[in-house]
Amino acid sequence: MSAVADSRRQVLDRIRAATRNSALTAEQAAGAYAQLAREYVRQGSLNAEGRLERMTERLREYDAEVVECAQEGLAAAIAAQLVASGRRRFVAPEGLPPEWLAGGFEWKIDRDLATSEVEQAEGVVTACFCGVAESGTIVLHHSAAEGRRVITLLPDWQLCVLRASQIVETLPEYFARCQQPPTLVTWISGPSATADIEMTRIKGVHGPRFLRVILVRDKS
Amino acid sequence: MSAGAEHPILDPALAPPFPVAALPVLRNPQLRKNVAHAIEVIQTKRARLVAEKTDWQELRATAAAIREHALENLSAYLEQFEARCTAAGGKVHWAVDAAEARRIILELLREEKADEVIKIKTMTSAEIQLNPYLETAGVGTYETDLAEIILQLGEGEPSHIVVPALHVNRSQVREIFARRMGIENLSDDPKALTAAARNYLRQKFLAVPTAISGANFLIAETGAVAVVESEGNGRMCLTLPKTMITLAGIEKVLPRFADLEVMLQVLARSATGERMNPYTSLWTGVTPGDGPQKFHVVLLDNGRSSILKGKTERQTLRCIRCAACMNSCPVYRQTGGHAYGSVYPGPIGAILTPQLMHLRHAQSLPYASSLCGACYEVCPVKINIPEVLIELRAQVTDQERRTLGKFFDPMYLGMRAANLIFSRAWLFHAAQRMGRIGLRFFTRGDGWIHSLPSVGAKWTQTRGLRGLPRQTFHAWWAARRKEAR
Amino acid sequence: MRASLFITCYNDTLFPETGRAVVSLLERLGVGVEFRARQTCCGQMHANTGFRGEAFSQAKRFVRLYADAENVVIPSSSCVAMIRDQYPGLFEELGNEALRREFAAVLPRVYELSEFLIDRVGVEDVGAYFPHRVTYHASCHGLRSLHLGERPFRLLEKVRGLELVPLENLDRCCGFGGTFSVKNGEVSSAMLTVKLEDVLATGAEFCTALDNSCLMHLGGAMHRQYAGMKTIHMAQILASTQEHPAEVLG
Repeated sequence: MSAVADSRRQVLDRIRAATRNSALTAEQAAGAYAQLAREYVRQGSLNAEGRLERMTERLREYDAEVVECAQEGLAAAIAAQLVASGRRRFVAPEGLPPEWLAGGFEWKIDRDLATSEVEQAEGVVTACFCGVAESGTIVLHHSAAEGRRVITLLPDWQLCVLRASQIVETLPEYFARCQQPPTLVTWISGPSATADIEMTRIKGVHGPRFLRVILVRDKS
Repeated sequence: MSAGAEHPILDPALAPPFPVAALPVLRNPQLRKNVAHAIEVIQTKRARLVAEKTDWQELRATAAAIREHALENLSAYLEQFEARCTAAGGKVHWAVDAAEARRIILELLREEKADEVIKIKTMTSAEIQLNPYLETAGVGTYETDLAEIILQLGEGEPSHIVVPALHVNRSQVREIFARRMGIENLSDDPKALTAAARNYLRQKFLAVPTAISGANFLIAETGAVAVVESEGNGRMCLTLPKTMITLAGIEKVLPRFADLEVMLQVLARSATGERMNPYTSLWTGVTPGDGPQKFHVVLLDNGRSSILKGKTERQTLRCIRCAACMNSCPVYRQTGGHAYGSVYPGPIGAILTPQLMHLRHAQSLPYASSLCGACYEVCPVKINIPEVLIELRAQVTDQERRTLGKFFDPMYLGMRAANLIFSRAWLFHAAQRMGRIGLRFFTRGDGWIHSLPSVGAKWTQTRGLRGLPRQTFHAWWAARRKEAR
Repeated sequence: MRASLFITCYNDTLFPETGRAVVSLLERLGVGVEFRARQTCCGQMHANTGFRGEAFSQAKRFVRLYADAENVVIPSSSCVAMIRDQYPGLFEELGNEALRREFAAVLPRVYELSEFLIDRVGVEDVGAYFPHRVTYHASCHGLRSLHLGERPFRLLEKVRGLELVPLENLDRCCGFGGTFSVKNGEVSSAMLTVKLEDVLATGAEFCTALDNSCLMHLGGAMHRQYAGMKTIHMAQILASTQEHPAEVLG
């Protein structure tokens, strides 16, 4: 135990000796932190329609399928996507709005499902926290309607519902939307890919190979 | 990895000096082609996206500033990270050096009675030579990153920090997978090879309860860890097992969560030429019901705190391991990574590896550069690599010139003589005259020198040298002045 | 306007024709040229090879020699880069405040040749005539340290009779790198081969640059390989006229 404390002491002492005039606590460093120059683009210039278009364009670049619907047409749009998938067994997060659970399919609601049970699902449907148009990124904070991380990882087919009001243009805008830093985040920018063999891009190594996004034209 | 090439040694303490290690690679057309192709692809993609990003230079400036600020206040931010991570259910361990980090990790695995561990690619674990250590101790290590599997099964060594198996071509991969995974009739189509790896790994992901990862970033403000990846094997290892051990260099810390808005933008574009990589995961300590319920972070020093001391050297630690430097390096393009004798190759390796070794090894690496500056131009955190290379050359020279062996080395003799010669114009002019007379012996009828001895032979092996003109510029000037009078 | 020519140690010894061309060019443009006979070297070779103490003494000599020069013109971008990039750190480390101030006073008066012509003299058309196909290689120091940018092109474009052929990968290092060319001779040669492929592919008669170091390396291989192309420093192109065509040696 004391050997552990010794290493900690040693490393910190070495660091402090090497950075002699530095702050002792993060609070003390806050002043210098606030002075860091930030002249990069924080706020995008596209309007709501432009953001929607850019998000769609970037998602499609990653071969994600994107459809739009009006707020009232959401449940039907979800059902249509599920039918088109040709799959039957889906997993859904505990907090998913019940009207999204289209009839005619086998639904497993994730109340602490065993991994082997999630493995058996052919697809998953969730909400999300935000979409970043510039990079076509979908951000999951794994809230009740977004689900535990495993359910958007194991199934091969993933449907994500993204409201237009959730779309921002730039990555800094997403961070500005976080009232406080989230504890669990997954940023998804396309299906898994590798270029490890001769730089040939192969999609879908681990994680869902099929990504479907429904863009809901909600108000505001 | 290729017939005729010796097994590359990536232990800086044992690797041959760079000029020697480069020779077998230079004679390997396949390897050179693979390397050139790979970096060409990434460079082209990167260039397009950087041109598209109108605030690229501003992002670089802030990325550099954030990293520099974090390093300046490293102890404060590390302590904050430790406190927040611990409060969130993680356990933080401190390792002074590689040996201690290995011991800590093994102990943690023993506590879990783990005889197998799945790994997300982490160069830091290769730095501390973790896998062989664990294997010897009876713990099976399973790499899950495609490139790492290729290397692990093929008993190869990484040659790049983002695309470690870029020196391996598809037929070589096919051979390795067919043999080690026991697959008959495996084609060499990358799709088929990737599918083979996917199937091979699926069972491991679901069955092995202990995982080891690295960290791209540690967030001091919240105690969170961020892992940036493309394949999804990271997500698998971060989500499915019961115990997660994250190994991270102490320099990986960022002050705030929001700093990722800068770092993620520059990292993806620099590393793989994408606006954003497919998957980035961030987690904080332990989340009940979601992911590993036991989480450890092993903070590694292993020489980083001494790099922190140097005014010029400190910037080395800003590195976010994007590999843009090696993709732009004309030296790396010809030699690939193995010639550097370290898991960190290329320009960043040339400055990081010798410093991690406290300049006791890898002294040839700071010279493995023509100082062209392409790396500095692309570095997202503005590490002035040429500046650090020159600083390290001075330190290596100061070290070497004291040794008897180097005192009579032709290069050292020549340098001391040249300095004396440059100290007085008359000495310089006399040396020029002597040089011209001496070199006349080597100058052929066409006025060129075709072959020289000793150090000069390295020049003349591929280049001629025009014979020294009879009249130097200064002599011409003096004669012209005289004539004018 | 007067210019004090710092010829550089290697130009003085190996490429005096470049110096002669600079003199001829500047005088033709009405710039008075002086040459301080006590000059030797800027210290770059020593600094870049790790012999920092030696580089100090050469840097001191340089600063003292040119303390009162109106302009210092140097036909070598790597030497100018040495002075701009490394001298500040050297003088900082030396800790001699007077010397540091002397250096700070000289620094803004130091110019690489193309900088001097365009920024100081203010000309692009220097009245040159060089009726040949020429390709231009952007030396690393000129490109990345001095940010010469368009200057070389603006000068070459105005040379009568000159056909400028673009060079693929013109910003890729030729592999010289000073003592790198012998300390890592094989890697340097590999880089040279790759660079030469692009240079020879232009089909030009001449490859030019603002640094004889690169040209010595490229030209040395051209000669060895009977490549049918020669190298020539840009000063010699710019000095060339119909009455007095460029000296092309080797």
